[in-house]
Amino acid sequence: MLEKSLAQKVLAEALRTGADLAEIYVEDVESLQLGIDDSRLETAMRGEDRGAGVRVFFGNLVTYAFTDSLDENSLMEAARAAAAAGRGTQQQAKTIDLTERKSQLEYPIRKPFDTLSIEDKVQLLSRMDEAARAYSPQIVQVTANYQQLRRQMWLFNSDGVQVEDDRFYTEVRAGVVAKRNGTLQRVREGFGGRVGLELLDDNDALAKVKNMCERAVQMLDARPCPAGEMTVVMCNGWGGVLFHEACGHQMEADFITKGSSAYAGKIGERVANPIITAIDDGTIPGRRGSLKFDDDGTPAQRTVLIEEGILKEYMWDLVEARRVGRDGSTGNGRRESYRHMPMPRMTNTFIDQGSHTPEEIIESVKRGVYIRDMAGGQADIAKGDFVFNATVAYLIEDGKLTAPLRGATIFGNGPQVLQEIDMVGNDLALDPGMGMCGKIQMARVSVGQPTIRIPRVTVGGTDDASASN
Amino acid sequence: MTDLLSLAQSVVQQAKAPGVEVEAIITHDVETQIKVSRGEVEQLSQSSSRGLGVRVIDGGRTGYAYTSDFSDEGIARTWRAARELAKVATADKYRGLPDASPISDEDLEIWDKRLPSVPTTEKIELLKRVERAAFDYDPRIILAEFCTYGDAVNHVYLANSRGFAQQYGRTTAYSYLMGIARGDDGGMVNAFGSGASNFFADLDPDAIGREAGEKAISILGGKPVETQTTTIVLDHAVGAEILSALALALSADDWQRKRSFLLDRLGQQVGSDMVTLMDNGRLKRGLASAPFDGEGVPTSATRLIDEGVLQNLMYDTYSARKDNKASSGNAQRAGHRSLPSLGPTNFYMQPGHQTRDEIIAGVKRGLYVVSVMQTGGIDPITGDCSMGANGLWIENGKITGPVGGVTIGTTLNDFLQNISEVGSDLRFIPLFGAIGVPTLRVDNVTIGGTK
Ligand SMILES: [Zn+2]
Repeated sequence: MLEKSLAQKVLAEALRTGADLAEIYVEDVESLQLGIDDSRLETAMRGEDRGAGVRVFFGNLVTYAFTDSLDENSLMEAARAAAAAGRGTQQQAKTIDLTERKSQLEYPIRKPFDTLSIEDKVQLLSRMDEAARAYSPQIVQVTANYQQLRRQMWLFNSDGVQVEDDRFYTEVRAGVVAKRNGTLQRVREGFGGRVGLELLDDNDALAKVKNMCERAVQMLDARPCPAGEMTVVMCNGWGGVLFHEACGHQMEADFITKGSSAYAGKIGERVANPIITAIDDGTIPGRRGSLKFDDDGTPAQRTVLIEEGILKEYMWDLVEARRVGRDGSTGNGRRESYRHMPMPRMTNTFIDQGSHTPEEIIESVKRGVYIRDMAGGQADIAKGDFVFNATVAYLIEDGKLTAPLRGATIFGNGPQVLQEIDMVGNDLALDPGMGMCGKIQMARVSVGQPTIRIPRVTVGGTDDASASN
Repeated sequence: MTDLLSLAQSVVQQAKAPGVEVEAIITHDVETQIKVSRGEVEQLSQSSSRGLGVRVIDGGRTGYAYTSDFSDEGIARTWRAARELAKVATADKYRGLPDASPISDEDLEIWDKRLPSVPTTEKIELLKRVERAAFDYDPRIILAEFCTYGDAVNHVYLANSRGFAQQYGRTTAYSYLMGIARGDDGGMVNAFGSGASNFFADLDPDAIGREAGEKAISILGGKPVETQTTTIVLDHAVGAEILSALALALSADDWQRKRSFLLDRLGQQVGSDMVTLMDNGRLKRGLASAPFDGEGVPTSATRLIDEGVLQNLMYDTYSARKDNKASSGNAQRAGHRSLPSLGPTNFYMQPGHQTRDEIIAGVKRGLYVVSVMQTGGIDPITGDCSMGANGLWIENGKITGPVGGVTIGTTLNDFLQNISEVGSDLRFIPLFGAIGVPTLRVDNVTIGGTK
C-alpha cells in the first residue's frame, strides 16, 4: 500500500521539529451492506474508505493530521501539519530502519466474501424474513441485515515498527416486532465475527430467527417488572456486557493514569469475590475484538485483569504506557478509522468459568429476576454506577422461571457488584458476535461470561406495588 | 469550491441512463479537535477530507455506493457499483428522487465567517478556560476528563438527475468535558458540561466548565431513596434523552412500518395541553439547520404536537409519496457514507413560563433529575421508558439533598400525559439532530430505590 521509502521520508519529515516518535497509519476499508425491511430489500450499499493519519509525539503532547489521499504530497503535508506544534530544531537526518514484524496469530478466512454472489446473500435475508413472518401472524415487522467488511491497516513508526493487519468481518443481524392488541414487543439479535462467509455455514440463521420470534411473542404476555432491590441472575454470553460496561471501562488505562477510575492504584488488591477471574483476550480465533496488531502497532495479547478476585492489570495503549514509562502496552490501542487517534479499548472481554450449573443458580433464587437479553448498557466512570435495560427477562419464583417481565432495568455499582457476585456458572460463552462499544469512537468488541448471580441489586420497573418483597 | 458542485453534476451525468435516476452528494469537511488535561494540550488533530456518495434509483430499486477516491477511476467505480447494487434491490414504486425545488437564500445564520480563520491558540485558550471553570467551581472537582474543543467547517454539494444542484456551508464549534468530584469519604461522581453553536463567539467557556462542576458537586454523596411513585423535575440533558426517542416515534416512515407507540393516534390528545412539539429545519442559528435536506428538499417548520394533540408527522420524499403528502424536508444523512433516512432537524418542545427554580418550588415531594444513564431504556416502539438516575430530593419546594443509585420508570405515553409544567428555559442539546427542551415537571413516575 505504501512504499517503505515513502514511509521513511514521511516519518523523517514528521520528526523534523524535535518529536520523540512519529507514526503513519494507513487504512483501506471496503464494505458491503444489504438490508431487508418490510419484506423489501431496501439497503444495497458498497463503500470504500482509504486514508492515512500521521501522529507525532512530543512528550505528553500528541498531534495528528489525516488525509484521504495517499500520494506523496498529501502525506508530506499531513506530516508537516502534525509536526507544526513542535518547537525543537531539525534533527540530524537519520534513516529510519523499518523492519516488518510478523504476527504469530492467524485469522484464516475459510470462505472469502466472493464465494457467494450478492444475490445469494440477498436470498439469505429473504429466507430469514419469510421464516419470521411464517412463525406467527403476530410478527408484524421484520428486519434482516448483512454486512461484510474488510479493513486493512499498515503502520510504520520511527522506532522501526512496520506491521500490517488484514481484518475481515462478517455479520448478520435481525429484528422482529410482535404485536397483539395495542402491545408491541421487539427482539433484536445478530451473529458475526472476524470471519468470512463460513459464518453462514456455522450458524443456522433461520433457527435463530424463529427463536427470536418465539421470545417476542412470549414477551407480549410480559407484565411490568417489579421495582426495588432483588436477586438478579444474568445469562451467559451476552450477559458479559455487564462486566464490560460496569468494570471493564474502568480498567482502561486512560481512566487509570488520571485517577478518575475506582480501580486506579489498586493493583494487587482484592476487587472481586475470589470466584471471579476476568480476562481481556485480543487473540481468540474468529472473534470481533481479535487483532494481530492493535492500532498502535503492538501485538495483540491475552491479559488477565482479575485473577481469583485480585486486580492484576489494566488495559494499556501506547500513549498511556508512555505517560507512565511502562515498557510497552497490552495491545489495547484501537481506533475507529484513520480519522481517529487510538485510545485504550477492550477487545474480547469476559468473566472466566465457574463451578455451578446454570440450573443450580436459578434454583437457588427464591424470588428474583432472570435477565435473558439486554439492549446494551452504560456506566459512569468515576462512580462506577451502571444501568442495563433488559429486553427479555423473567421473574424467578421458588427457583423457577415464571412470568416474562417488560421494562426491566438493572442499576448498580460496578465495583460493588463485582465484590458481591456470589455464584458463577460453568457455562462460559462469548456473545454471538454483534457487540459495538462506544467510547467517543466506535469499536467492535466481544463480551462473555458464564451464568452469574448477583444477590442484591436495584431493579427498576414501573410496578412499585410488588416491590416490598 | 463550486468546482465540487460541478463535479457532483458531472457524476450525475455519467451515471444516469434512461429510467435511471441519480443523485450525487459530495461533502468537504475541515475539522479541528483539541484535548486539554490539567492546563496542558494533550491532543491536537487537524484535517480536511472529502467524500462522494452516489444514489441510483433504477425502476424503484435503490443502490448506493461511496468513496473518498476522487480519481476518474474511483468515481466511475463508485457510480457503477451503485448501478449494479440497484439491480438486487426490491422494486418499490414510491422510491424516487424529489423534483428540484427552488431553495430560498434566506440567511439561516449557520455560517460563521470568522471560524475558518480563528487561530488554534485562541481555541486552546478557550478550552483551557473551560477546564479552569470546572476546577474553580469547587475544590472537590479533582479532574476533568475528555476536556475537548472541536469545530467543523462542513460543505455539502448535492446534485440530482431531476436538475437539482445546490450547495451550502455550515460551521459548528463545540466543547464538552466530564467533571469528576470527590467527596470527603473518597466517593467519586462525574457529570458533563457542554456547549455547541454555529458561531465560535457564542461558546461560553465559563458556563460549560461551571455546568460540569456544578452538576458533579450537586450529586456528590447521593444515596437511594425508597421505591415510590412521585413527581420528577427533569434537567435539559435528561429531557433531551426522552425527546430524542419521541422524535423517532413521530417519523412517518416508522409509522408506515408500524413502529411507533403513537401509531394511529393522529388528531388525538396524546399529551397534556402543555406539550407543543416542533421540528424546524430553518431555525435561525439552529445546530441542525440547513437550506435543504439530505435529498435536496427545502427544510421547513412542522408542528407535530400542538397543546397535546398529535397534528403532524415528519416526512421525507419516500414516506410522503406513500401517504400522498409533501416531504417536510426531514431526510437526514450522516455525511457521504449513508443513504438519506428520515430524522429530526431542530426538534424541540415549546417553552412555558416558569423558571427552573419556580418549578422546583412548586413540588411538594419529588426528585430533580440531574443526570441519567440509559441504553435502549427508552423505546419508541413499545413506549417503555426506564433509566438510572442521579439527582436532588425535593421536599416542600426545597432541595434537601443528593439522591443516587435509583431508577426512574414510566412509559412515553404517561410521560407526555403527565407533564404538568414546562419551563421557560429552552436549551438545545446536540443529540441526533439538535434536541431542544426546557426544564420539565412530570408526575406519577416510579422511582426504584431501596425496599
Ligand atoms: Zn463499552
